[in-house]
Formats: sequence, structure tokens, C-alpha cells
Amino acid sequence: MQLHGWEAVLFYVLAFSTLIMGVLVVSARIAVHSALFLIGTLVNIALLFILLRSEFVAGVQILVYVGGVMVLFLFVIMLVQTRAEEEAKIKLYTGQMWSAVVIALLLAGGFFFAMHPAQPAFRPSIEAAQETQSKQDEATERTQAGAGQAISTDTQDVGQALYKEAALPFEIASVLLLVAMVGAVLLARGTKQESEHN
Amino acid sequence: MVNFLMLSFLLFVVGIAGVLSRRNIIIIFMSIELILNAVNLNLIAFSRYFQLNPDALKKMGLDPNPLSGQVFTIFIIVVAAAEAAVGLGIVISLFRNRETVEVDEIDLLKW
Repeated sequence: MQLHGWEAVLFYVLAFSTLIMGVLVVSARIAVHSALFLIGTLVNIALLFILLRSEFVAGVQILVYVGGVMVLFLFVIMLVQTRAEEEAKIKLYTGQMWSAVVIALLLAGGFFFAMHPAQPAFRPSIEAAQETQSKQDEATERTQAGAGQAISTDTQDVGQALYKEAALPFEIASVLLLVAMVGAVLLARGTKQESEHN
Repeated sequence: MVNFLMLSFLLFVVGIAGVLSRRNIIIIFMSIELILNAVNLNLIAFSRYFQLNPDALKKMGLDPNPLSGQVFTIFIIVVAAAEAAVGLGIVISLFRNRETVEVDEIDLLKW
């Protein structure tokens, strides 16, 4: 999976902005700013998904995450009073910076320990991937020459895989969403509503 | 491939740092979303890798469906949405009862 040309440039731009925005999510003083930076991060990750030729998951990410979950987050930030944090004298962080640094270093060590033996295994396959890539490019060019525009079959393939091999988990996920919805309503209703219904 | 894994790992570490160091429970939730997205990126990267190299794991006797990464990512997004709904409901009721969203002031169960 060797990116080349404009794809590599796009990847580095997206990766850089994703990381910057991720750090800003964690370090912003005002919660609404955090939420907006998180929206930026999620959009960037969706673009990276498109770079990895998974358009369907990118669309789901934009619709569900940015359109649903983040709106929920912003609602809750507006409901919950976090105005005190905007003043400079309130401390943002718990006294756990040391443990955060130590755990990050441990994770980094574990990652390099895990990835180092795998590096040579990726090398020949990268060449194979380049061959596959060039074949795909040729196929794409042929399709574009023949039919104007190549249309990705990614959504179709994901649908096939989802409903053929993961039908039961799909149904379980729908029940899970229903339960989560009921639970959220029960948790968030006010005392007045509770006294009315009990 | 390794670039994508590095990016995913760095995002994961940023999320972990946020969970461990912030006091505001809503921002801790957002850091959890960052972690989930790092994992999604990892899954999609491996899915693409196996699409391009169908016989990468054949010599180990494994035959993965290259699309299972994408399917798994969709399930992760579903569970993240459910988690966000329930978690933010908990945050709202907590704020009603305790008038705070700072995690180090919520010490009712602390010994």
C-alpha cells in the first residue's frame, strides 16, 4: 500500500492536520472549541478513509459522527455549565500528567516493539501492492476511457459482506441502539417528568 | 501502510493523554471518540492492505475477508453512537444532581 504522487502529499497534509486538531481537542480551554476541533478531526479521518478507498465508511462517519454524535455533544456542552473553565485561573488538568506521559511512552515502546519485526514482512508486499496498484490504475484508466467515469463498488461490497456474514451482529446492533436510546431518555429526563410518571 | 499505522497510533496516544489528564468529563468523552477513530483508521488501513495483497496471510494459513475491517468499523461507529448517547445522558443527570462536570469532584465512591 504505497501511496505515490498527489495521494502521498494529501496523506501527509491530512495526517498533519488530524494530529494538530487532535492535540487541540485535548488541550483547548473552552469545551465548545474542543467539540469543533473534534469535528475537524473526524472530517479529516473521513477524508483519509476516502484515500483508502472506503467511501461507504467515510460517508457513514460524516453522517453518524459529525451529523449525529457531535451535535449531541454540542447540545450537552450547551446544557452543562462549563463557563468557569474559560477563566484562566481554573486548572484544566488533573494531577495525572506524569502517568499520562509514562503510559504514552509505554505505548510507544509497545508499538515499536510490535511493528519492528513486521517491517520486513511489509516490504515485499509493498512491491506487490505497487504492482496491484499499477494494475488497478490501468484498469481505472481503461474504465475511464471506456465509460467516462470509474464508479467504486465499495458500498456494494461492504453491503454484501455486512448482510451475508454479519447479519446477526447487525440485528444485535440495532437492538443495542434501541436500548441505548431508551436508556438515554430515562437518564436525562428531569425530576418533574419523573414525578409525573411514577 | 506503516504511515497509516503511525498516524493511528499517534491519535490513539493523544486520546489516551486526554482521557488521563483532563478534568472535564465531556472532553474525556471526546478523547474516547478520538481513540475509537484511531482504531477505525487502523482497521480501514488493514482492510485496504488485504484488498491490495489478497495472499498476504495465505502463507500463515489465514484467509481473511478484506472487507471485514470496514464492517467492523461500521459496528464500532454504531457502538460509539450508543455510548455517546448513554454517556451524555449520564453527564446531564450528574450535572443535575451534583452541579459539576469535573471528574475529581465526583468522589462519592472513593474510599
